[in-house]
Amino acid sequence: MAKLWAIIKREYLERVRSKWFLIATFFGPIFFSAIIIVPAWLASRSKATSDVYNTTILDATGTGFGHRLAVNIAGDSTSSTKMPVVKVVAPNELSQAESVAVHEVMRKERSGYVVVNQQTIAGESARYAGANATSIADMAQIKEAIRRTILASRLEQVGLSDQKMKEITFIPLDFSTERVTERGRAGSGMASVLFGFAIGFLLYLSIVIYGQTIMSGVLEEKTTRVAEVVMSSVPTDTLLAGKVLGVGAVGLTQQIIWIATTYILLKLRAPIMAKLGAPTMNFSLPDISLAAGILFLLFFLLGFIFYSSLYAAVGSSVNSESEARQAASPLMIMIVSTGVFIQPVLLNPTGTTAKVLSLIPISSPIIMPIRMAVTGVPPLELAGSLFFLAIGCLAALWLASRIYRVGLLMYGKRPTMKEMARWVSYAK
Amino acid sequence: MTEYAIDIVNVTKRYAEHTAVRDLTLRVPTGSVYGLLGPNGAGKTTTIRMILNIIAPDSGSIHIFGRRSDDPKITERLGYLPEERGLYRKMQVRRVLKFLAELKGVNGRTAESRIDEWLERLSLKTAEKDWGLAKIDELSRGMQQKVQFIGTLLHDPDLVILDEPFSGLDPINAQALKDTVVDLKRRGKTVIFSTHLMDNAERLCDSVCIIARGEKVLDGTVTDVKEEHGQRNIALALDGESMVGEILRDHSLVKRVDDSNRFFEIEMAPGADPQALLKRIVDSGASIQRFEMIQPSLHQIFLQKVGASGVEEGMTGHG
Repeated sequence: MAKLWAIIKREYLERVRSKWFLIATFFGPIFFSAIIIVPAWLASRSKATSDVYNTTILDATGTGFGHRLAVNIAGDSTSSTKMPVVKVVAPNELSQAESVAVHEVMRKERSGYVVVNQQTIAGESARYAGANATSIADMAQIKEAIRRTILASRLEQVGLSDQKMKEITFIPLDFSTERVTERGRAGSGMASVLFGFAIGFLLYLSIVIYGQTIMSGVLEEKTTRVAEVVMSSVPTDTLLAGKVLGVGAVGLTQQIIWIATTYILLKLRAPIMAKLGAPTMNFSLPDISLAAGILFLLFFLLGFIFYSSLYAAVGSSVNSESEARQAASPLMIMIVSTGVFIQPVLLNPTGTTAKVLSLIPISSPIIMPIRMAVTGVPPLELAGSLFFLAIGCLAALWLASRIYRVGLLMYGKRPTMKEMARWVSYAK
Repeated sequence: MTEYAIDIVNVTKRYAEHTAVRDLTLRVPTGSVYGLLGPNGAGKTTTIRMILNIIAPDSGSIHIFGRRSDDPKITERLGYLPEERGLYRKMQVRRVLKFLAELKGVNGRTAESRIDEWLERLSLKTAEKDWGLAKIDELSRGMQQKVQFIGTLLHDPDLVILDEPFSGLDPINAQALKDTVVDLKRRGKTVIFSTHLMDNAERLCDSVCIIARGEKVLDGTVTDVKEEHGQRNIALALDGESMVGEILRDHSLVKRVDDSNRFFEIEMAPGADPQALLKRIVDSGASIQRFEMIQPSLHQIFLQKVGASGVEEGMTGHG
């Protein structure tokens, strides 16, 4: 036990003391809050820009439609700077007016122009051309303004008063979303998805980084022959266990620091967003219970043990970093193919794909926590996922320890799959 | 009954393609310096790994100080220096040493004071510089070798196993290692080392075992081994140019000759008379500096017993 402790201590302290660990631990939270704040900031940017006010309306309807549209585009603002310019033109002068408008856009005097005519009043078509034609939010706002103007014209035709018309067509809708779990309301839906993504990404990253850390550690011990000295003092199983636990503890330390500081940064999100000039959204952090927190850690630890023991086996079977990268590619494929499913699972966390992937030990340590973050998972499914993952871990450890103890003493050419299978059958 | 430091009985270890060690029996007396000699690929490293319980024999038994080699308590009495050496490159010297000591059951505080003692003894800690605080990869190769000796001996083992300890050592460290071996013996420790350098073995070892192709060829004390191979050898040293080549190729007189240009170690043919050989050489006009009946050197015995055929084809250096 004292020897296992000595190995864990060495693995832990040597890594925590390294510069790399300090840098990653420091930049991690900044990075994670960035991936949460930046999309929110971009989302706030997706409200229409001031470009829409800088539009020219070419009105060929001959009904004053253009002026009403200008009012609708400007919204409730009465500022003259927000009012689009209206040019009333005869239908036969339209093409000439358009070419003038194009030049204004080219000279960056105006951001674009919209053409309204009889087809527009009929509710059939309208045209926009401008520098911001690809901005979804700008186009949506102009389209919405045109729809409202058409609606207003029709209501006027059936004899509604101006005031009444405004009352009917003015709908300042603020659409907020919130997730409901079996424990009740659990913060905004957007926040849950971001949180689920962050959890999945964090687990994915940790498994890749620390799996490879273990692999290079094992490889270093093998190539420097330290492994032989250590193996003459402790059984290989103890050495493997010490490595997995020591490096696992490093990963856990880093995750706890990451999660805690990211949480604090997100709490301070409102002032940060305000500094960036973005309006704060109605946004509350997901409510994570202690039990869920413990389950997250359990999935991390089991997933880590599963992958890192296999990475250790790979490290012991090769003789150089380049061989290791090649030999580790099946593991990389397993992890990356799980990563590919993060988004589909976020979009449909209760679908068959999500359910199946959270039972397979290869993907469950990443997929199940994501599902837990975005939806309520039935206890039976959780238990099943943990059960299969635990069995997967035992199998991976069994296989890894057998490859490990033979591989560490084998130098020379890289073993074939057949040779590795034979190692597994060796007694000691 | 003498307690043996190592008592190996009928041990066999097979790998898929070949048998690394076949039916090996050998006993190392406590307190002796024991040489495990053999060409590359003979099974020395496999034997050492089995003694250290890094790998297990397929059959046979290994006892160390009367206890089974897989007894966890026994590993703390063993010190091991592997053939190819290296340490955690990015780790501080003191921390590496403390880690190695802890793996042998030495507690932290005892380890610290012993580390100081050893660093000073091998001049790695002086008034100007304490290399103990440096990282391994800041050390020269010679210094790293010293650190590795310290790691092997820090827990004051009763049995020290050195695998090819002289390979890659500069003369100063080689001398330091020899001194250490002599010192260990004086303190009643048992030292076993594998080597293919017969000169070192002959000077340092009390007993030797020669193995080839996984089998024991001979063993015993150096004195007994030499006596067994009789006084059938002649040391011949010549001065200046001489024409003795033809005489030495006469198989009625000479069975085998180790020609080192001016020095020859000659094994006489069975029944041949050394005096007849001397006469022939004198008659050839050669100027003789030395003509002496000697015991064969370990080197000669080794060549005689193992020959070139003792080295298996296609083996790595890790027999």
